[in-house]
Amino acid sequence: MIELLAATPQTSTGEAVAFWCLAPIAVGAAVMILLSRKAVHSALWMATTMIVLAVLFIMQGGIFLGVVQVVVYTGAVMMLFLFVLMLVGVDASDSFVETLRAQRVAGILLGAGFGVLLMAAVSRATFPEAVGVGAANDAAGGHVEAIAEAIFTRYVFTFEVVSIVLITAAVGAMALTHKERLTPRRPQPEQSVDRIRSAHPTPHPSPGVYAQHNAVDTPALLPDGTASEASVPDELRRQGTVRYTELEAANRRADEDGERE
Amino acid sequence: MRLELSVTDALAETPWWLSAIKAVVIFGFLVVSTLVMIWAERRVVARMQQRVGPNRVGPFGLLQGLADGIKLALKEDIIPTAADKAIFILAPIISATTCFLAFAVIPFGPVVSVFGQETALQLTDFSVSVLYVLAVTSVGVYGLVLAGWSSGSTYPLLGGLRSSAQVISYEIAMGLSFVAVFLYSGSMSTSEIVSSQDRLWFAIILLPSFLIYVVSMVGETNRAPFDLPEAEGELVGGFHTEYSSLKFALFFLAEYINMFTVAALATTLFLGGWQAPWPLGGAIWAGANDGWWPVLWFVAKLWIFMFMFIWLRGTLPRMRYDQFMKFGWKVLIPLSLLWIAIVATVRAVSNEASIDRQDILIWGGVALAVLLVVSIVWDYVSGRELEQPDDIDKPFDPFGGGHPVPPLPGQQAVAVAVVASPSNADSEVLDA
Amino acid sequence: MDGGYSGNYAVVAVAVALGAAFVLAGVVANRLLRPHVPTAEKYTTYECGLDPVGDGWAQTHIRYYVFAYLYVIFAVDAVYLFPWATILDTDGYGLVTLVEMVVFIGFLATGIGYAWRRGVLRWV
Repeated sequence: MIELLAATPQTSTGEAVAFWCLAPIAVGAAVMILLSRKAVHSALWMATTMIVLAVLFIMQGGIFLGVVQVVVYTGAVMMLFLFVLMLVGVDASDSFVETLRAQRVAGILLGAGFGVLLMAAVSRATFPEAVGVGAANDAAGGHVEAIAEAIFTRYVFTFEVVSIVLITAAVGAMALTHKERLTPRRPQPEQSVDRIRSAHPTPHPSPGVYAQHNAVDTPALLPDGTASEASVPDELRRQGTVRYTELEAANRRADEDGERE
Repeated sequence: MRLELSVTDALAETPWWLSAIKAVVIFGFLVVSTLVMIWAERRVVARMQQRVGPNRVGPFGLLQGLADGIKLALKEDIIPTAADKAIFILAPIISATTCFLAFAVIPFGPVVSVFGQETALQLTDFSVSVLYVLAVTSVGVYGLVLAGWSSGSTYPLLGGLRSSAQVISYEIAMGLSFVAVFLYSGSMSTSEIVSSQDRLWFAIILLPSFLIYVVSMVGETNRAPFDLPEAEGELVGGFHTEYSSLKFALFFLAEYINMFTVAALATTLFLGGWQAPWPLGGAIWAGANDGWWPVLWFVAKLWIFMFMFIWLRGTLPRMRYDQFMKFGWKVLIPLSLLWIAIVATVRAVSNEASIDRQDILIWGGVALAVLLVVSIVWDYVSGRELEQPDDIDKPFDPFGGGHPVPPLPGQQAVAVAVVASPSNADSEVLDA
Repeated sequence: MDGGYSGNYAVVAVAVALGAAFVLAGVVANRLLRPHVPTAEKYTTYECGLDPVGDGWAQTHIRYYVFAYLYVIFAVDAVYLFPWATILDTDGYGLVTLVEMVVFIGFLATGIGYAWRRGVLRWV
């Protein structure tokens, strides 16, 4: 890379300084993607790398590419990643226990091999004399115009294929995540009528026995001292994690014993 | 007389100290505008609701926003134990830093002379300025998502997801409404878009684009009637439930500056930017578009949008989330695409075949009317027969075979299995 | 690349720095001014006055993912539409370019129309 920078006569001092300031950030963030334990932290480091790359693109005169990098990659693709990570959960962090034997050694070896191959390929590549993006822009009469010309004349087939690839992937994702509705939809008016006609149209009693406990898993007590089942969420009742007061719990045990006899 | 330099040249020749002054002035403008907006919002909404509103701090209560800000900064800062501390602190910083950036490309006025130096009243301009604004807002969304995620609490998580899903949905409609503007101006640079509106504002010739933009800008900024992320009855405070002190103030600031950003973009793209309103420009008062006057026109147009935000908040109830998403994806986006297709076709055909644009509009209107009549007649004649497939009277029971099976297209699912409903449980408890 | 050209971008960097400085100054001032009286209850998760039960993780619905995916598609779409709109009026593009874009949008519309008809885009 150093030879490359030195060999290109167009590189100005400002550009070189900016490159050497930004490149370590990009590489450091890329390393942090691997080292972060939480998936969301990794995603954020990745977003950092992408933004730094966008700045590098802009410094090379590719303002359109740089801005699109932020809109599409940082904005859209990383947001998709974040949404997926939220599906996985807040506390999900990578386990560092090796599940497959010798996987770590194999990984390091393969990675090193790939690195060597990549370096060999890059170092042996020959570059033609740099024309500079300015010349290309001038030929088309502007930066955006030059890009539009490339997309809509020379690479028009690729451009159309992009659309097919995108929509195929999207329809696949939608088909996999879609679940047919099995029961008919009940619109809001119907629900409100049902609620008024039900035995209990008013709001449920709030949970919590305030002197002792103050949480949603503690049912409210009715005037006779028994627990109001309606005051705790259905989900907690289903899980069986409702916390009864000591008296109520004792009563319930007695009831259950009575039923068994 | 208009000064000689073009905007691009004037910006290129602006010395660094002048750019720095301009950046600081824009900052000051935004912060002061936010304070005024907080006051204006509370006073105007109060007026709409037959109240007085804040009138204690300063003349007419004008310093209320400042007092609230200082009070917030003096409050204890709480980071919940369940929170992911680093990201919890980072989220409001991302929101508050990015919200200022979009204003860098908004033109406040034409080329003027400052301290003997000619410069454009705009911090900077690119060939893709409008795309840059979209990029900045899409980074700003990170603030919302991360705030929701890092709080380690259910309400913020749901609120953060809701707001980000809302912002990204309406950002699409917003982006598509720009396309027609680019078609007419032939440029994505804000200064060129303003100068291409010197005869007619795009809000008039591209009315559908303008309307779509106005709706989506309200959705984009999470304002009433689209303030679902902050639906108090469902989500407490949404993504900033766990935030207090200055961190909360930063989110608040970001929300208001985002409102100014979208309003400024609307002014620039559709209302002619800094150009004087119709009867003033050119004919009546030749100097209306020169010197520092345009700043006045720009700020006036900006505040029309800000008043609209307040008015909407005082008038409309909050929408339901599913209806809101349906509106964005099934109404706004298809409409924008259709409108783009119409505008592009009219322009391309008229350029290609050198047909008069008016003829195309007339014939297109006739064709549309014929299509409409045919579709209505078609519905009327054949619609009723199609309504009756063979097995419509045989209700399909998805739980019939013991295993849930989705209905085939055209079959109507009927709920047979009774799911344990809370109302049954209630009656049992009450009977007991 | 001349000085004025890159200067336009450097100004944005200055704006970023200014924004960050403004926010950081606020944060520092806030740290110096605010009281700090920690009690265990203050640091619990907010549950409208009740003690929190379980952890703060609520599994979010998969439909958010579908809409995020659609956002990616339309973001790419918009990125192509913008330069297309900018050049459509200039000589040498016109109808052919229009048809190219119609084909592009047509593919997307077919896929999304299919998803729409199957009810995938329904929020509830």
